[in-house]
Amino acid sequence: MNEPILEVENLTVQFKRKTKLFKAGREQERWKKVLDSISFNIKQGETFGIVGETGSGKTTLARTLVGIYRPRECRIRLNGKHLDLNKKEDVLLLRKNIGIVFQDPVGSLNPRVTVSEIISEGIPDQKKLSERQMEAKIMEASELVELPGSKLESFPTELSGGEKQRVSLARTLVGGKKILVLDEPTSSLDVSIQAQILNLLLRLKNELSISYIFITHDLNVIKHMCERVAVLYYGQILEQGNTYEIFEHPRHPYTADLIGANLSFTSNDGFSAARESGEPSREGCIYQNSCSKKFLQCEKPPPTFDLGKTLVKCWLYDYAGGDHGESVDGRNGGSNGASD
Amino acid sequence: MFVPTPPKDNLSSNLLEVRGLTVNFETVDRSVEVLRDVSIRVGKEEVVGVVGESGSGKSTLAQAIIGVLDIPPARITGGIVLFQGKEILPSSDGKANFRGKGINMIFQEPLTSLNPVYSVHDQMEEAVNIAEPKMEKKEKEALIRNSLREVMIRDVDGVLNVYPHQLSGGMRQRVSIAMVLVQKPNLLILDEPTTGLDLIVQRRIIGLIMSLKKEILSSILLITHDLEVAAYMCDRVYVMYAGKVVESGSMKDVLKKPLHPYTTMLKNSVPEGYVNEGTLKVSSGAPPDLRHLPSGCAFHPRCQFANDVCRSKIPELKAQKDGREVACWLYE
Repeated sequence: MNEPILEVENLTVQFKRKTKLFKAGREQERWKKVLDSISFNIKQGETFGIVGETGSGKTTLARTLVGIYRPRECRIRLNGKHLDLNKKEDVLLLRKNIGIVFQDPVGSLNPRVTVSEIISEGIPDQKKLSERQMEAKIMEASELVELPGSKLESFPTELSGGEKQRVSLARTLVGGKKILVLDEPTSSLDVSIQAQILNLLLRLKNELSISYIFITHDLNVIKHMCERVAVLYYGQILEQGNTYEIFEHPRHPYTADLIGANLSFTSNDGFSAARESGEPSREGCIYQNSCSKKFLQCEKPPPTFDLGKTLVKCWLYDYAGGDHGESVDGRNGGSNGASD
Repeated sequence: MFVPTPPKDNLSSNLLEVRGLTVNFETVDRSVEVLRDVSIRVGKEEVVGVVGESGSGKSTLAQAIIGVLDIPPARITGGIVLFQGKEILPSSDGKANFRGKGINMIFQEPLTSLNPVYSVHDQMEEAVNIAEPKMEKKEKEALIRNSLREVMIRDVDGVLNVYPHQLSGGMRQRVSIAMVLVQKPNLLILDEPTTGLDLIVQRRIIGLIMSLKKEILSSILLITHDLEVAAYMCDRVYVMYAGKVVESGSMKDVLKKPLHPYTTMLKNSVPEGYVNEGTLKVSSGAPPDLRHLPSGCAFHPRCQFANDVCRSKIPELKAQKDGREVACWLYE
């Protein structure tokens, strides 16, 4: 397929935590790695899913990609051009090309301005455009997202959840952005409304050949929307690759646990309630405290192994060119991935 | 002398029966019907689901049954609730207030249902005091520990001495299940028990509830928006839309062949296949604003089969074969 339009290499984000009790206490600075050496790329017209649980760093990743957080370390290539996210011009260039739809439609829309003003925020170089041109652009964007024209003069509080997400989408589309970061765009919506938004996103992708970075915790949505997917766990990508491959043959024990826990209309097996999740490990493999396949090697941090269709960060696959067919599929092995 | 045998109707096997429950929310200038003539029943050892989107009235139903509905603004304008054959609603003060006496409820967000200023131990003790007032202190202590072990908490001592905010979401939900367990309810109402929990934790809590159900609990009424969770847990299901039950039946039948167009849409809304396997079949529009309900069937503006009858007359819940019911003019 075509060249990747966005390449991210070794993205690391740290948050500073100051621990200082009262004024007299000695100030300590501690850094917490929220994202640890994340690498992935996206091609044009592709949906790349990022799935993870609470605290895995999904939202931090989304915000870093649009320049809200400054990464400690990162190599980003946009359309083949290297960007330095510590330089202001490069961050602006990044923002010009990557749009974002936030999870919370209430918090991301200014309640004091009308919908058409919110959408117009997304138009670049506004000074060069006449009022009529602006209006035409706003109309075009709102038609794209199937937002009725009568809503353009409403305020965000008058809109339903689904309509608010359509406004957020229109705001990014009006600037002609080709890469959209969707941070849990449907999590706060009812299922039937979620389905409408998913259909809309699929249609826009086909019509405008946009690329999505789709961030969610919902595996069924990932499966339905994404060609490729990355599994994020406490700041590390444990497995990434072709969606079908990952769902049908999960290689990493965490992926297997996650997919085994997903409910569909056909699940009826007995998933064990017995095991408690351990804390993420500070040393070695991050999942070792919760892993059912832990062995001695896991004390050391695993490198990422390339298994052809997927990349896996797990010592289980530390064999040179061996048999790649084996999977630690939790479902095939019954309670395999779930027992103590 | 001829003694007529008492009629053996369904009533005797029903643990909980709600008949024609109607609840209004009243403000100074208007009154909104949140539940409209809702009838459900829960049999012994049955897991019954109530599925619906936001605004369908499913949580109001649960709150009305257990008597935690805020009156006012809410007002119960009609219907009765029977529990074990006894009428618990309407009661003299308009509330059912039945907590701790056979019916228990687990709420969506355990952080709000657990008291933040008492340790887990103290709250558990309170629950035990209500359930077993005559028990000796040592036995009570043993019961608390046992019940925490029952919900698969390993570090019992660690959990007993902490406050709810120090626990993770999954652990909090385990504690609230443990509190319910000591009271040995005949009916457990679960209001979105796993919403907001991570996937693996959600699955463990569901697994835990189902395994406990087999041992201790007799019946479960599950309130959820998640059709997949309902499909996994329930024997029977009621589908609610805009304050009305629109369809009911056994979970398997309803999933296999939904009768009401709304149920069909709900089922089609859940993405199941892989990418490029087509779009989801869903109609436009959103659940109605209860203040301005559409005339006739509340679903008609979103329904592809809607005709003139649907627009003018409200369909009644009618029995179909296999013990199913549907409120739709298509099945007249």
